[in-house]
Amino acid sequence: MLRVLVRIPGFLFLFMPAFLYSQVDSSGKVCTASIEGRVLDEHDQTPLEYAAIYILELNKGTLSSETGFYIIEGICDGTYTFRITHLGCSPVEQKVEIKGKTIHHFYPEHHAELLKSIAIIGHKPTEQSTQQKNELSIEKMEQSKGLSLGEALKNIPGVQTFNTGSTISKPVIHGLHSNRILILNNGIRQEGQQWGVEHAPEIDPFTAGKMAVIKGANSVRYGSDAIAGVILIDPKPLRDSAGINGELNLVGMSNGRGGTVSMYMDGNFRKLSPLSWRVQGTLKQSGNVSAPDYYLVNTGVKEYNFSYTLLWKKPNYGAEVYYSQFNTTIGIFGASHIGNLSDLYAAFASKVPLETGGFSYTIGRPYQHSEHELFKARFYVNTGDKGKLSLVYARQYNLRYEYDKHSPLNDSLAALNRPDLQFEITTHTADLIWEHNPIKNISGTVGISGITQGNTYEGRALIPNFRNHSGGIFWIERWKKNKLEVEGGIRYDYKWMQVFKYAYTGNGKYTLISPIHRFHNISGTAGFIYKVDSALNLSLNLGTAWRAPSVSELYSDGLHHGAASIEYGNDSLGSEIAYNATFTLRYTPTARLHIEFAPYTNYITNFIYRQALSEPVLTLRGAFPAFNYKQADAVLSGFDLHASYALYSFLEIAGKASLLRAWNIREKNWLILMPADRYETELTYRFKGRKKISGASVSSSFQYVTKQWRVPANSDFVAPPPAYYLVNLHASLSYRVKHQDIEVGLSINNLLNHSYRDYLDRFRYFSDAMGRNVTLRLKVPFNGSFKA
Amino acid sequence: MIQKKMRKLKKIGFPALVLIGLIGACKKDDDKVNNPPPIVNEQEIITTMTLNFVDSSNSSNIHTATFRDPDGDGGASYDIFDSIKLEANKTWYTTLILLNETANPVDTISYDVLDEADEHLICFTPSGTSASVAITDLDGNNLPLGLQSTWKTGPAGTGTMQVILRHQPGTKDGTCTPGESDIDVTFPVIVQ
Repeated sequence: MLRVLVRIPGFLFLFMPAFLYSQVDSSGKVCTASIEGRVLDEHDQTPLEYAAIYILELNKGTLSSETGFYIIEGICDGTYTFRITHLGCSPVEQKVEIKGKTIHHFYPEHHAELLKSIAIIGHKPTEQSTQQKNELSIEKMEQSKGLSLGEALKNIPGVQTFNTGSTISKPVIHGLHSNRILILNNGIRQEGQQWGVEHAPEIDPFTAGKMAVIKGANSVRYGSDAIAGVILIDPKPLRDSAGINGELNLVGMSNGRGGTVSMYMDGNFRKLSPLSWRVQGTLKQSGNVSAPDYYLVNTGVKEYNFSYTLLWKKPNYGAEVYYSQFNTTIGIFGASHIGNLSDLYAAFASKVPLETGGFSYTIGRPYQHSEHELFKARFYVNTGDKGKLSLVYARQYNLRYEYDKHSPLNDSLAALNRPDLQFEITTHTADLIWEHNPIKNISGTVGISGITQGNTYEGRALIPNFRNHSGGIFWIERWKKNKLEVEGGIRYDYKWMQVFKYAYTGNGKYTLISPIHRFHNISGTAGFIYKVDSALNLSLNLGTAWRAPSVSELYSDGLHHGAASIEYGNDSLGSEIAYNATFTLRYTPTARLHIEFAPYTNYITNFIYRQALSEPVLTLRGAFPAFNYKQADAVLSGFDLHASYALYSFLEIAGKASLLRAWNIREKNWLILMPADRYETELTYRFKGRKKISGASVSSSFQYVTKQWRVPANSDFVAPPPAYYLVNLHASLSYRVKHQDIEVGLSINNLLNHSYRDYLDRFRYFSDAMGRNVTLRLKVPFNGSFKA
Repeated sequence: MIQKKMRKLKKIGFPALVLIGLIGACKKDDDKVNNPPPIVNEQEIITTMTLNFVDSSNSSNIHTATFRDPDGDGGASYDIFDSIKLEANKTWYTTLILLNETANPVDTISYDVLDEADEHLICFTPSGTSASVAITDLDGNNLPLGLQSTWKTGPAGTGTMQVILRHQPGTKDGTCTPGESDIDVTFPVIVQ
């Protein structure tokens, strides 16, 4: 946080806590007038947190809270000049008359490309999207440090996770996940084995300066797969002035006795001012986590990640190189690996998992190991005053090993200790994008993008080898006048894929086949924003998105251990197309109240789903339910609601609700594995700053998740688990040591150590979810001036 | 001097950046996409279970019953699934054999089970008119294994026999409860 502020002019007020003194009028009386309000984005009125509100005449200021709320007290009546600065916005200077208790909102405008002091990376045209976009607040990001990416994103309304225990969590947007959402890590589509529900995104959350979710179908800008939405993980901007600074993060967790160390360093040399750099790294280890009544054997995690960035920036052109590596080894809860269906029923019938033990850091079989490597190079050049042209190339390499519970019986095979499943996928992406500056209120983006990908396996042939080439071309324009903004876009995509696999021809013989699949699609989007007045902002987005069936849906063939099912792919599947409408209402009638209500409906034609075959398949291991993939039209509708109200300047209450109904139209039945309704309230108390202490707050949240009874009958081994509630507690403060604010945070999740199981957790068959977890966080920024 | 160096650095600055970046991208997939690994012997698959019955009163009176799934679990279905046919009121010396027929030569998995006898147990569960089973072989800890057993048939009739191979590493206690099932087949039984 501090690092970001350092570059903002007028930051100095931070060193003089504003709250400590009040103004005195000409007669010597202490002034009692005040100003409060919100800082909101000029375009879509999303609250802007950590915006600096500064009164030039008084050298006095404050920062806006998570909900954009700010208050400055102890001012005399009069007219003052306010300067509002926020990262990514042009500073706004505005004269405001203060008389008694004054309420005033500020609306700085996002215009990163026009603002010299802000690095150009990280800017995207979607910053002004008509789509519903929610950013994870800095406060929530701090609270979720040490947790996985999915767990952090869960704080955004409408986002849930699909878990395999507490260590593997995949983000779910409006009920959909895996191949139906897109993750853009540093602007690059994350490509791994994302079809698997137990394959979590291979991204270190510590690389992120910003996490945001765009909800709704959005193929036009980002290409295929964004059926339910897009997750944006962007790093902080690099330094643009000489010096070195950095940050050390330490996180300790009681449950699993885990520890995380993460650090980054940013620099820029005075003698080589175009060059900015960053190095970053994270180490993480935790052992067996525990449910309230027992340890979950073999649930440890080991992770090491690092990244670096180099930016060469000139006024009219620039280049950036980014490299990151993510390596993780995750133990899979022993009791979740079962031989057959009878074992599954036995596991479920048992109150305590059939395999228990004590605490250990050792990761044994079964476990998974994955590595992800991203190399990105970006070049941009300003095309006169007309716009900006950028070219981005990226290479990703993703490796995944999965080890079964037992090594082979045969000693010589066992000695090799080969993974039972191994996937390697290498992806090259290239994008050429031209953004043109406004011409008569119209601004826009044109681009082409291409992907080429190769996948190989060793071990069990769960999914085959394949090669994939795809390309797309898009054009988006946006018109703005007064209260209305209109956006429209169109895109064409083509995908070619060749699969290499052995087909069984009987008598223990196989033959290599190499079928080719071709898919193409036209997508469109139309969006509107209408600002009724300063309090009310309405937006509507209509969009389409598509995705080709994944190779697992086309060709998966075999037994899923742990899922106790046999899956047959269907190589005649066609593309899925989503037609999405999202309406967003943002209402800020007073400085203290903010409401965001976003109903949506996503109509998906040829929705791909698994259907149980009427006859179980008989194998040597016993009888297994069998599934094949089918397509039918489905509709997913719901809403996300978020509201906050400042009862006092120091006490704020916030509420969130996410509801979803997902219906298979052809089968006239519910869709399986959809998140249950979820409600959350949070009460936050903010202390006044004192001497060296600032930003102290305590908050308590209460989460309630209903039972998911909207499931197709006889579609699951056991009924969905009952409703549950969780109480969480967070506290944090900053302590000033030699011009640096050291932040200390304490979180207690599942404070009451409540035993529960979540419907979207694959381990719900085998064990309760994680019990109480106390997390202690320490953030130490450091800043060195650089003389060279 | 430093100035000069800096100027030079500025000139080579960007190409150097790219170079450093490329060096970083070092991990590579060495496998060929168009040439997947052949499905032989890579994995340990149990394709076949055969029960061999020898009449205790006449060693030339031999019966067998087999379950065979030639490509392992999933994929193609089983191609042999026999009923166990035994004469009434006799005692049978029974041997259980497990094979991996995808390997060349065929791999006898039951030898590996024997090697790891202290981690395995074969459980026999009769139902209806079937046979009563007594396990005759023991592991190193004197706990039953089940590759060898004695079956006694009563009067004629029909029923079933469930054969389960339990994998119980570190947890074997002589009962069928611990561990998980590597094999679970229920044969129809005809006693005539």
